[in-house]
Parts: sequence; structure tokens; C-alpha cells
Amino acid sequence: MVGMYHYLFLGLFLFVVGLLGSMLAKNVIKVLIAIEFMLTGININFVTFGTFCDGVNFHGYIIALFYVGIGAVELAVALFIFYLMYQKKKSNNIEKYSEL
Amino acid sequence: MISNPVLFYIASFILIVFAFLTMFLKNIIYSLLSSVMVFFSAGLLFYFLGSEYNAIIQAAIYGFAVPIIIGLSIMFGGKCSKCEFTLKYATILASLIFCLGFVYVIMMSVSMLPETFNIVGLVKSNSYEVISSFAKGIFINYVWAFELVSLLLTVVIAGLTMYRKKGV
Repeated sequence: MVGMYHYLFLGLFLFVVGLLGSMLAKNVIKVLIAIEFMLTGININFVTFGTFCDGVNFHGYIIALFYVGIGAVELAVALFIFYLMYQKKKSNNIEKYSEL
Repeated sequence: MISNPVLFYIASFILIVFAFLTMFLKNIIYSLLSSVMVFFSAGLLFYFLGSEYNAIIQAAIYGFAVPIIIGLSIMFGGKCSKCEFTLKYATILASLIFCLGFVYVIMMSVSMLPETFNIVGLVKSNSYEVISSFAKGIFINYVWAFELVSLLLTVVIAGLTMYRKKGV
């Protein structure tokens, strides 16, 4: 039987992988993907709580929808900044992006 | 909600393995393809949790749009030392993403047919309570947050377009 904690642990795992990836990865694109992993892990937790703890109003589902919208906005802005920085630095190594 | 342990562990295994592959693969294209698998398996988990709407949004935005945008940014970013991105890889990437999406859509549509899973009572798809709660939540309880997110999306699209027109 699959319970709530299985899903919560999976969401936590994805969040930790995203957190470590965003801190340790050198490639900017990989850092952005890691941040999206963190958002997806949070979304899994929201939907899990919406299913198991709130069977009437499903607030977790709706908040997860907002997170997807915010994540798309964040990705668009971050990619644009990356594009501008790439034009100046000619590299996708994040250590060269310390000066904006 | 589907509480079948076999399906859950298969989806979890795919998610965990491809999440690690995304972080440890050197080639950014393979990393991006692995992340597509992670996003699709997360959508599958949403579906198992009984939230079909979130699953479709996850598949549409994180499974299709986000990898395509990231792939395009890699392509427009030029040729870097470690990621040798050619047009051949772009075609393979787009084909794989569309194949994955196609398989996902077929699975979703098959599972929503009343003659398949609903006979054994596994799936209660698009139940009235879920749709009604979504509508009530978005358009009544969280209407200002919904409008704010819409405004944010519009501002970002308009802002980036105007910024590009200035010739940056």
C-alpha cells in the first residue's frame, strides 16, 4: 500500500537533488534544470497534501498550478539573463558569472 | 487515486535514476533529455495521486515547453567547449520529446476510457468534485493570486519582447 509518506519522501528526494545540483553544478543550464527539480519536488508535496489531507477543497492542487506558472516565468527570465551574460562572457561556466 | 505499489515504484525508480543522470551526465543534451524523463514521471505521480489536471499541466509545461526553451537557449548560446550541439542533436531532441509526449497522451487517453481501467475501479478520472474544486479555488478563493500570476506572465512576455527590440 502506497501512503502519503512515500510521496513526501520522493518530493523531498527531488528537492534535495535539485538543491545539491544548483549548488554544485558548473553549467548554467544544469543549474536552471536543478532549480526546476526543486520546484517539481515542492509540487509533488503540495499535490500529496492536497490528496491525503484535504479531500474537499484541493488547495494543494491549485497552489501547485500557481507554482508551475511562477516556475515558467522564472525560467524565462533566467534564460534571458543567461543569454545576455553568455554574449559577454562567451562561456556557460557559472564561476565566470560572478560579476554581473 | 491509484495506490498500486508496482506502478508507484516504477515511476519512482525512473524519477530517481534520471534525476541522478541529469546531474551527473557531462553532455548537457543528454542531461536535458534525462530531465524530460524526470518531469514526465513527476506528471505520472500526479496522475497516481488523482490530480489529472496537474499531471497534464506538468506534461505540457515541464515535459514540452521547458525542455524546448532550454534546448533553444543551448542552440542560440553558440558552440561551447563541452556541449557540442549540432542540428542533428536538435532534431533528435525534438523527436524524442514529441515521442515521449505522444506516448504520454496515449496512456492518458487510454486510462480515461471507461472500458479500460474504470471497470476494475482503479481510476476515477475527471470526477465532478475535482473539477468543481479547481474552478472554485481558481476563480473564487484564489482569484487575486490567479490574476497576479497572469499579470506576471504578461509583464514578462511584454518586457522580454521590448528588451529584445531595443537590440540587446
